[in-house]
Amino acid sequence: MADAMVPMTIEQALVACAAGDRAALKWIYQTEAPKMLGVAMRIVKRRSIAEDIVQDCFLRIWQAAASFDGALGNGRSWIYAIVRNRSLNVLRGEVRSDLVNDMTPLVGASDDPSPEDVLLQVSENAALRRCLERLDAARRRIIVMAYTEGLSHGELAARCNVPLGTIKSWIRRSLGALRECLG
Amino acid sequence: MSDLPDDLDMLAAEYVLGTLEGADLDRARALESSADDFRRAVARWRTHFLVLDDTAAALAPPPALWDKIEAQVAAAPQSAQRSKPAEILAGLSRSGIWGSLKFWRPAALAAGFASLMLALGLVLQLQRGPEPPIHVAVLTTGQGKPAAVVNVYADGTTEFVPLEAIQAPEGQVIEIWTLQNPQQGPTSIGKLSSARRIRLNLENLRKPEANHLFELTLEPFGGSPTGKPTGPVLMKGLAIKSI
Repeated sequence: MADAMVPMTIEQALVACAAGDRAALKWIYQTEAPKMLGVAMRIVKRRSIAEDIVQDCFLRIWQAAASFDGALGNGRSWIYAIVRNRSLNVLRGEVRSDLVNDMTPLVGASDDPSPEDVLLQVSENAALRRCLERLDAARRRIIVMAYTEGLSHGELAARCNVPLGTIKSWIRRSLGALRECLG
Repeated sequence: MSDLPDDLDMLAAEYVLGTLEGADLDRARALESSADDFRRAVARWRTHFLVLDDTAAALAPPPALWDKIEAQVAAAPQSAQRSKPAEILAGLSRSGIWGSLKFWRPAALAAGFASLMLALGLVLQLQRGPEPPIHVAVLTTGQGKPAAVVNVYADGTTEFVPLEAIQAPEGQVIEIWTLQNPQQGPTSIGKLSSARRIRLNLENLRKPEANHLFELTLEPFGGSPTGKPTGPVLMKGLAIKSI
């Protein structure tokens, strides 16, 4: 595992993984695992489950690296899609019943930053932040909470004290507005 | 921002947001693995939303986590998933009970049934011909996740419809097999470098019927050297009569 072998970008590392280079996988782990754990943790709210998810994700990254297509998006967006999908599947009870049994609902864990604070951490230059700021506050909150905490329509309705149908139509209209704004 | 119809781009957006449920979620997953323009729309939305993932706190994983990953990776063939089903398959091929029900663990059966209920909806959406298929096989991965559907039409036309993106590694090929009866053994009915919708070649076989097995394995480039499956199983499923 000489330093000269260390890839420079996630994309290069994924190509190396596809070719069977385990050092490249380790490099991705060292670079991204803490953030991946944070993303999974925000969704599943259980440290041991989030760690299992990250472990599964690395196996998946290793096995599927050859299917990464740089023309579609960057390597990080590919990796975080895996983390998010896996976390959402666990949260929604689609996999690992042994984990799901441990999933007593943790509504609004108090140490989660508010959606407003989350958005403030996003670079002002990011198109998504600029466009989210054009939505009214209640709808912006819903989009940010849905994405970062993986909340379902029902959970969003309960948290925001708004009827389910209203949540659904708010989400749809907000995404429509984002779509126009993002161009 | 998209060449997709509005409603599909919105489906992509909600898929990335993570709020889709039920049939809408199934539809988005099926489109992601079968439609390039939908996949592009999903990737575009993901790229925009990635800035929100970056706001998650970085948490130090326990030191043992990498060791577990390394051990798992060392035991896992790349792109081919799980070596275990391959060993089972190899064993069954030799003993001539390839289609044995022991092959299916009860959990996989339950998962298969659940995915079947799910896939019936997909089948209706995916098939475009005027006639519905008379038999359908839902192919699931080792974890019971639906990964493809095989539709058999009344005239014997049989098509493979992937629901999951798979890509054969360099120098290998995905081979599609069917098992109609244990005496004959598995027969190759198609090869692919990546999962895409194709018509299967069943020229020298009977028309597929209930309980015929369909299975995909990873084989050396050019196909299995022995004419029988040798590589790891990617997915498998039994045909059933459609309602």
